[in-house]
Amino acid sequence: MDLERIDNLPTDTLSGFRVRPGKPLPFGVSSVPGGLNFSVYTSAGTSCTLVLFSRSEEAPLGEIRIPDHYRIGDVYSIVVYDLDYEDVEYGFRIDGPFSPEEGHRFNPENVLMDPYARVLSGREEWGVEPDWSKQYQYRSRVAFDDFDWEGDSPLEINDADLVIYEMHVRSFTKSETSGVKFKGTYAGITEKIPYLQELGVNAVELMPVFEFDEFENSRIHPDTGERLFNYWGYSTVAFFAPKAGFAASGKFGMQVDEFKQLVKELHKAGIEVILDVVFNHTAEGNERGPSISFKGLDNKIYYMLTPEGYYFNFSGTGNTLNCNNPVVRNLVLDCLRYWASEYHIDGFRFDLASILGRDPWGAPLSNPPLLESLAFDPILSSCKLIAEAWDAGGLYQVGTFPAFGRWSEWNGKYRDTARKYLKGDEGQVGEMAQRVQGSPDLYQWNGRSPATSINFITCHDGFTLADLLSFNHKHNEANGENNCDGGDDNHSWNCGAEGWTDDIGIRNLRTKQSMNALSMLMTSRGTPMVLMGDEFGRSQHGNNNAYCIDSPISWVDWSLLESNSILYKFTQALISFRHQHPCLRVNRFDHGGSKSLPSCSFHGTTPWQVNWSADSRQLAWLMTCDQEDSGIMDAVYVATNMAHYATWFDLPEIPSDYSWQLCFNTGDSQSPYLNPPPTFNDHGILVGERSVVIFQVSPRET
Amino acid sequence: MQVTLESFDQWQVIRVSGQVDSKTVGDLRDFIDTQLKQGHPVALELTEVPFMSSAGLRTLLTLQRKTKDMGVDLALIGVAEEIADTMKVTGFYQFFTIHASLEAIPNP
Repeated sequence: MDLERIDNLPTDTLSGFRVRPGKPLPFGVSSVPGGLNFSVYTSAGTSCTLVLFSRSEEAPLGEIRIPDHYRIGDVYSIVVYDLDYEDVEYGFRIDGPFSPEEGHRFNPENVLMDPYARVLSGREEWGVEPDWSKQYQYRSRVAFDDFDWEGDSPLEINDADLVIYEMHVRSFTKSETSGVKFKGTYAGITEKIPYLQELGVNAVELMPVFEFDEFENSRIHPDTGERLFNYWGYSTVAFFAPKAGFAASGKFGMQVDEFKQLVKELHKAGIEVILDVVFNHTAEGNERGPSISFKGLDNKIYYMLTPEGYYFNFSGTGNTLNCNNPVVRNLVLDCLRYWASEYHIDGFRFDLASILGRDPWGAPLSNPPLLESLAFDPILSSCKLIAEAWDAGGLYQVGTFPAFGRWSEWNGKYRDTARKYLKGDEGQVGEMAQRVQGSPDLYQWNGRSPATSINFITCHDGFTLADLLSFNHKHNEANGENNCDGGDDNHSWNCGAEGWTDDIGIRNLRTKQSMNALSMLMTSRGTPMVLMGDEFGRSQHGNNNAYCIDSPISWVDWSLLESNSILYKFTQALISFRHQHPCLRVNRFDHGGSKSLPSCSFHGTTPWQVNWSADSRQLAWLMTCDQEDSGIMDAVYVATNMAHYATWFDLPEIPSDYSWQLCFNTGDSQSPYLNPPPTFNDHGILVGERSVVIFQVSPRET
Repeated sequence: MQVTLESFDQWQVIRVSGQVDSKTVGDLRDFIDTQLKQGHPVALELTEVPFMSSAGLRTLLTLQRKTKDMGVDLALIGVAEEIADTMKVTGFYQFFTIHASLEAIPNP
């Protein structure tokens, strides 16, 4: 029986609009038969006016002061009928006290963006300077959210089996050399999926895609006259809206569909999507920043404030979102549930996640309710949750992040140790052994697993891999801050000349060191992450903090794929090797290994004897397991020699029904990877200076 | 926006001219709901359509579902390049058979 509901009908006419009291949940805008339901929260506001616009019109279509009896608790909600879903844009005016010393900053003159807005207009096309005279800059719109997923769902690949590829949406394909039609967009990534498949990664981690404003703090470089942007976007305007400027269809308001299409196509290719999310602060800055949404809705609820009403700055960017307030916590939870359910997102990486564990006054909590809620949420239960386990306020929690059995971490210690060992620093062998086996020193005592550790040597923050091997010092002049920005603790070594050189010896050493770095990364337990373009030597010309650069410095130069093809093919072979060898992806610290060999053992130039002394620069590891289906032993032996002279390594003994096969040798510049790998009958191998060799075992044919 | 019904071989041709957006899409939807005959394949002639908004593209998908239910073929004719690009990046394109002109429809 098709019975029409009586609550489908308007009860009042206000300001010429047919309306009725709305439903307080869900927050934001939702469609109901014949109309749209608007719902917004303010605890200290004294009145709420819904402001409606026609698309791109400066003057409102109408304003509806929401009657007080439409309010339940602290939530104003109203259904407005007969609106054109596609054309309408909306915002709120909230009245209330303006008394910053008490934490209140209400101003009914301002039209505020809906914090739950799923589509924004106002920044539809990347880099088009906005008209700053307009009073309402970031305009909330209505999303259709009716995408045809054709049976797609998140892939749920085991954490330990992932190979993550970190990328910036625009940088990945913006260059002419990318060869794609829709450069610098979500669709551009979709066009590059065959490349990602060929490379062998099974997850992409996208730097921020929530609506941000590239013109926030935008400025002109004092020397070059170039426009500097908020390019990376670690400054959220709208948590529920994908960035329109990253969509080829953004000018038509179809970024939601374009982004979903990217996710769907990546999933078809077996590639997960992880979003880098920024909940520690917002684009509203400190007391001098703009009032976009939260400040005018309920400043005191959303931000951590000093007793005098100033903004705490644990994020290093002006303000700190008050994440452990129950209202804000729910907003974060609603947001992630939305992305997981509506966009089929597979995981999230939380920028400066340690902030999310601070109480409203900034003190670190031992059981932060937000982190716990995320860990046990029913919708997020199979999403990867990855913490950047530190913040700009001095909290460093690698190894101690409140994990609730769910969270993994960007392992900054893996990065630092691998870099130091790679360039031949003294005293690194012992710590390197910890890193290679999944950092049990950090994660075993608290019952966590190797895949808790996201292993990486490079990421968007800092040098690219090629630059790590080409520069001793950062060269950030292009950022317009006199080279004062960016980290100085890079643990980099330029291999003999600062920057570009035509010295063939130095160039070959850099290529070899790239291969060495990737070899260690791909044969470590834990989850490896590579930075876009590192597989073919992408450079930012020594810039280790290109957060503001929208130019070829940041963009991936795809011509390197050809000129550095040996590095690319080597990386591809390595990733494939990792996928083939379960012994590298064991996700237990108490794993028993194979019948005849332990799960992970360390060796020196002589098997079973490591030189752990400070001047040692040789370390070998042997990882084994018995394959589940066949019972055949899987074993990989990696010997690394980071000294400046060649060194003989005796191979460990293996059961007589197996033989060694040499798969990689970075010291052999002609054929650093061997496919098919030849059987190796010698009892040892001379490992060249600063070189890595990798062996696998194969059952002998009987 | 104008909508007319024509025929071409066995095809019933919905010829649209003008912009299809949320202001006009209701007319197109009403036309589709009331004017289509059973048993004949449907061609949507869009040569004279310079722009289609999100609502317009969604109506194409509705039409695609409807013709599937009716058990007849659907072809889009003369889709402007910019509209085709938007359809490609948003995943709409893959649901349709598209031809440059009515004459380009292959014989069954």
